[in-house]
Amino acid sequence: MSEHHHKETFITKYIFSQDHKMIAKQFLITGMFMAIIGMLMSAIFRVQLANPGESSILYNLLPGDWINEAGALNPDKYLALVTMHGTILVFWVLTAGLSGTFANFLIPLQIGARDMASGFINMLSYWFFFIATVILISSIYVQGGPASGGWTIYPPLSALPQAIPGSGTGMTLWLISITLFVVGSLLGGLNYIVTILNLRTIGMSMKRLPLTVWALLITAILGVLSFPVLLSCGLLLIFDRSFGTSFYLSDIIINGEMLHNVGGSPILFEHLFWFLGHPEVYIILLPALGIVSEVIAVNSRKPIFGYKAMVGALLLIAFLSFIVWGHHMFMTGMNPFLGSVFTFTTLLIAIPSAVKVFNYLATLWRANIRFTPAMLFAIGTVSAFITGGLTGLILGDSALDINVHDTYFVVGHFHIVMGLSAIYGMFAGVYHWFPKMYGRMMNKNLGYLHFWGTFICAYGVFFPMHFLGLAGLPRRYYTNSAFPMFDGLSDINSIITFFALTGAIIQAIFIFNFIYSLFKGPRATKNPWESTTLEWTTPVERIHGNWPGDLPVVTRWAYDYSKPGASADFIPQDVPLKEGEEEH
Amino acid sequence: MTNTLIILVAILIIAALVQITRVSELLSEIKKQDPNKVTDSNNKTQGILFLVVGGAFLIFVVWQMITWNHLLLPPASSLHGQEIDALMKVSMGLILIVFFALTPLLFYFTYKYRGNKNNKAYFFAHNNKLEVIWTVIPTIILTCLIVYGLRTWERSMNPDLSQAKIIEVYAEQFKWTARESGTDNKLGKANFKLVTDRNALGVDMNDVNSKDDKVIREVHLVVDKPVLLKFRAKDVIHSAFLPHFRVQMNCVPGLSTQFAFTPTQTTAEMKEQEGDDFEFVLLCNKICGAAHYNMQMSFIVETQEEYDAWIASQKVLSEKLLTQK
Amino acid sequence: MNTAKNKALKQLLWVGMGSIAMFFAGLTSAYIVRKAEGNWVDFILPDWFVYSTIVIVISSLLLIIATQRIKKNKEIFALILSVFLLGGLFTYLQINGWKELTSMGVYLTGAGSNVAGSFLYVLTLSHLVHLAGGLIALFVAAIHVKTKKYNSESFLGLEITAIYWHFLSILWLYLFFFLKYL
Repeated sequence: MSEHHHKETFITKYIFSQDHKMIAKQFLITGMFMAIIGMLMSAIFRVQLANPGESSILYNLLPGDWINEAGALNPDKYLALVTMHGTILVFWVLTAGLSGTFANFLIPLQIGARDMASGFINMLSYWFFFIATVILISSIYVQGGPASGGWTIYPPLSALPQAIPGSGTGMTLWLISITLFVVGSLLGGLNYIVTILNLRTIGMSMKRLPLTVWALLITAILGVLSFPVLLSCGLLLIFDRSFGTSFYLSDIIINGEMLHNVGGSPILFEHLFWFLGHPEVYIILLPALGIVSEVIAVNSRKPIFGYKAMVGALLLIAFLSFIVWGHHMFMTGMNPFLGSVFTFTTLLIAIPSAVKVFNYLATLWRANIRFTPAMLFAIGTVSAFITGGLTGLILGDSALDINVHDTYFVVGHFHIVMGLSAIYGMFAGVYHWFPKMYGRMMNKNLGYLHFWGTFICAYGVFFPMHFLGLAGLPRRYYTNSAFPMFDGLSDINSIITFFALTGAIIQAIFIFNFIYSLFKGPRATKNPWESTTLEWTTPVERIHGNWPGDLPVVTRWAYDYSKPGASADFIPQDVPLKEGEEEH
Repeated sequence: MTNTLIILVAILIIAALVQITRVSELLSEIKKQDPNKVTDSNNKTQGILFLVVGGAFLIFVVWQMITWNHLLLPPASSLHGQEIDALMKVSMGLILIVFFALTPLLFYFTYKYRGNKNNKAYFFAHNNKLEVIWTVIPTIILTCLIVYGLRTWERSMNPDLSQAKIIEVYAEQFKWTARESGTDNKLGKANFKLVTDRNALGVDMNDVNSKDDKVIREVHLVVDKPVLLKFRAKDVIHSAFLPHFRVQMNCVPGLSTQFAFTPTQTTAEMKEQEGDDFEFVLLCNKICGAAHYNMQMSFIVETQEEYDAWIASQKVLSEKLLTQK
Repeated sequence: MNTAKNKALKQLLWVGMGSIAMFFAGLTSAYIVRKAEGNWVDFILPDWFVYSTIVIVISSLLLIIATQRIKKNKEIFALILSVFLLGGLFTYLQINGWKELTSMGVYLTGAGSNVAGSFLYVLTLSHLVHLAGGLIALFVAAIHVKTKKYNSESFLGLEITAIYWHFLSILWLYLFFFLKYL
């Protein structure tokens, strides 16, 4: 784990690398690849929603038997698409692609370590993820199609191939894939926690850690505590599906066949699933917020406001995230008192979230903002967090949830907090750390174009969904044309699809910029953003062990931007305190 | 052929982008400028863009609220629903106030504090008083909201059931069936093991309470009279969603769930209000398979006389089971 | 012995064991919630599980003795081998427990089964699967002992194996008392 001066072959450098920086890039590339697939899926089902029952050129991307003779998408395959879209984006892109990339890349660099505690376990974490990816993609092509019960895979629907074809082989592969994915995530999380706690360089106390590292630490703790419960949930489902047990199944007649299962409860599944499911969305959000804290501070040229309060807010959000899961289950017939408890805890979580927003605003106040593409996305994150977070107050209130649960109101809410806020955080991270990852600069103007196009289109897609929800339109509907009460909503659907397709095409600017800059981007300097954190003190070429000589010694916190009395407008963390200078 | 064309066009666009990017970089080299350095001019443009696009976004939000307001569900047609609507108004009002306060503030800051080499940022790292203020005020507001919300929830979930008419709603892939409990207002016991082609709901005909049960394909309710819907499911989780009444409850195989409410408007009244093609409907609101989008059942709210006439015309289940082939 | 690397690797194990504990917490919570809903058949836990409990506790005690002895550079191969064999015995006893359960009419699945039985099988099987990892670790440790890899200054592999093995014992004790009395 200390400098390994072994001879590097192509295999050990690029494939089975144990260097955290390479592993980070492996997560990033895989995550980006999956993001394209997930996004194409959404483009396809948006086309179906805008032009129900019609054919489309986009359907050529799908396996042949997903389309009927008229060229239209089959209804059960519509559900397959939304299931896989959700699975891929929640787990593959926003968990592995976000945490996997930035935790791996930033943790050793920002704490002043040579690498993670165990490079070997780190390497394993990527390869488990890779195999999980292969299995998930292969499930698209099996007979019956991939899992189609929603990314939330509630039984009995997900347990019975007779209920929907995707619940056959496709669902089996989904379960295998997610098991490997979770194991990979856990292996990664172990490393992140132990590395942060043990391998900080001299002078890097917990109070001097950049907020990004705090966020990644807390995320990892959330993960190691909550992901295993998904495994136990999935294990019982595997037994029900393949071994005839009755943990979740009871009193079922399907396709005329009376099943033997008695005594099971699908609600038990929901409890176990959402015990992970809720912390999962904070596992997604917290790294994005951590990245945004960093990017905003650097580009405002002033400290992030309220460092201690920000850490406290992260801790409180994490703690509360374990006791709100029932707000996904208000309409299951649970004891109303239980519902009240979950409403109470859910609305409480708004408080630390609000504190974070106010702290971001205070950081921008009297700043001297430098608008790098990363900064644009960071501000986008804050805007989306305000917008999406506020609608959470409606959904978290059990009485109000009665009429918006499982409608497009929910779809709007979670896309704005995850599909906007968290993804913008991921974009901000890529634009900001690309010079450090690849030693080159991404094109600034293409970055500006990408941001504004995405910002406009994304709000165009998801804000109207709140109105669809308040009009009573349920989610996961193949078409809205079956109920006359929704006929007036087809214009909104068309507008959403227009913005969705436009927004999808605009992402090509980012992909192009990324790939072009990888090969032809102008060479970066060591610290192009003039940041204080330790990763920018490493050489541009990136070496094993990160620093050529001794590890940096830290003497100050991460936010000495525009410090009064300082000559430069930023002081890196490893610069010793001057005579008479006090640490903040 | 179209696919090939599309791929060709995509390649050409990419090639063009490559050239444009290379050219702009070469130009910067000639001018001895770093093409990716963020200039004061950039900051000015982006700052103004935040103001303009941010403003447009807010206008877009208001436009949506005005243009699509008529598409939203009409006011609730049930007693508890009216309380929910009131809570919704208050909650929406609150979040809209916060949204329209914070969002412009964010975009205004990004405009006002756009970077300039002559400016210096103000080193303002923390202020405990501010933290306390913006923790305590949201806490107080949220506590009030929570208390109000919990009261509404409690009243929606625990209504007085003593006078409620009991009707069972049975969910399956992909239709709804209902069962009137008859004059005894008691549903006969049911068991999935008793389901046959003719006894689709698996009613135990030996149970004395089943004698007057009637299986129906549309539900009739008497206006201003409370009703207790009891839910069962045959195969997978479904969810009974009656948006006009503000009623939603999962239908879970192996469990029974219920929801009680009192309809306050007749279908006829609603047709006058909303248009002649208005219907109260029951939708499925939990993904249940391919035709999840098309599980419908009509609910008709009418006067006592109209209801009495209708129910008299429905056959009791025991009769139906005997006469059906 | 307590270098930064050793400390970090031990912490990796501790966090990993925390995750495994959460996995079992999920299963035992499901057990409690399901039991409260009724339709639950109670049965007496076969004595085989008492014997296996005793066996695994003894194996942990032997392992403690072994880690004490290595600090004084004493011979421990016999001890490690014994722990490994006791682990095998534990597995054998668990399987016998399952056999007796089926003869009592308690099945994992099928027409005559009840979810109470299903949970029992799933919990004990899950524990056994994690124990398999412990057996592999013991096997590797035994080889290292034989090839004189450990000494009083450096025996990290043995330490880690021991910590994990004790975790499996404590986990089993928790599951045993949980199944017997809850």
